[in-house]
Amino acid sequence: MELSDWELVRKCQEGESEAFQELVARYHRKVFLVVVGILNHREDAMEVAQETFFRAYKNIKGFKGGAAFYTWLYRIAVNLSIDFQRRQKRSATEYRETMDDLTDKGEGTELANDPYVDLQSKELGERLLAAINELTPDHKAVIVMRAVEGLSYKDMGRILGCSEGTVMSRLHYARKKLQEKLAPFI
Amino acid sequence: MMMDCENVRKSLGAFLDEELNRSEAERIRMHAQGCPSCLAEKEQLERLQASLKSVLEGRASGVAFGPFWDGVRRRILEKKPWTARLWDWLRPALYPERLAWAIPVAIVLLLGIVSLEQFLPGWRGGSNRGNTTAVDSIDGHGFNVAVFRESKTKTTVIWLYENQEEEDESAAEPASPDTSF
Repeated sequence: MELSDWELVRKCQEGESEAFQELVARYHRKVFLVVVGILNHREDAMEVAQETFFRAYKNIKGFKGGAAFYTWLYRIAVNLSIDFQRRQKRSATEYRETMDDLTDKGEGTELANDPYVDLQSKELGERLLAAINELTPDHKAVIVMRAVEGLSYKDMGRILGCSEGTVMSRLHYARKKLQEKLAPFI
Repeated sequence: MMMDCENVRKSLGAFLDEELNRSEAERIRMHAQGCPSCLAEKEQLERLQASLKSVLEGRASGVAFGPFWDGVRRRILEKKPWTARLWDWLRPALYPERLAWAIPVAIVLLLGIVSLEQFLPGWRGGSNRGNTTAVDSIDGHGFNVAVFRESKTKTTVIWLYENQEEEDESAAEPASPDTSF
């Protein structure tokens, strides 16, 4: 029977490192998704995602279970990503991942075999990533968490330490910006 | 109608995210059914959301657990020097956005210290500020009375003098070094 997050956390707090490994296995992909969405750089995202789990491990004894484990974990991930990005201040071009790797593989996307559709999707993907990259870290965070994880406004508010109203307003603003940039393509 | 469209568009995102209450959601749904431009906006938002999900999820491809866990484990086993740990702890507080807080905090602290000086004179024991000197001038029945007090030597001098020509005010200055007391 699969243990719940909280049960695994309790085992971690009692010193069972295998339980932490199980938590990493459960959430590493999701955390990476959120981080790479904010940083838009695969290697940096890998570093930050691993650092997220390291910080979680170091502080797991302080986790009392008041909120869901993933909310706590995402909070660490988002804060580290935003701090990382503020520290780096890299240019948009330097951040851009080689989209060829992504779209050539066609993984996770519903690319048809039609070359015209492929080209369109590739172009949309590139423009979408470029448009996301122009958002502020706070706006990126809500866009990514909502799009990828489908998190509720309440959970996002907990993760970002702001109200649901602020989450709603950030999402509205960020989507509007993306719509403006991508209007001809969507 | 125009204003209503504007309000509806503001709530379209929350509507698609199913974050509105039932009556608000129904209001948006009804409006979008009868308003082609809001309906188009809603559909565009839906396409944007689908594209975002598809593109972002594609980025997590190839994140294998093995190498990821190795990276986490290496960090756990790695012993950082205390200076690195201190720097990690201090670094977030030194970002320019957070340093901006330091300026108003410094001003408030400075004002607090100045105010303390006013409300608690002599709180910085041993300084010259504890040595208060005061000169009061009182007009009593045709005579001028000046009272000079100095707390350091606990000296009080009362000086009575006749009302002289007003233009000779400097002569009546009790704190003047030329005075005879």
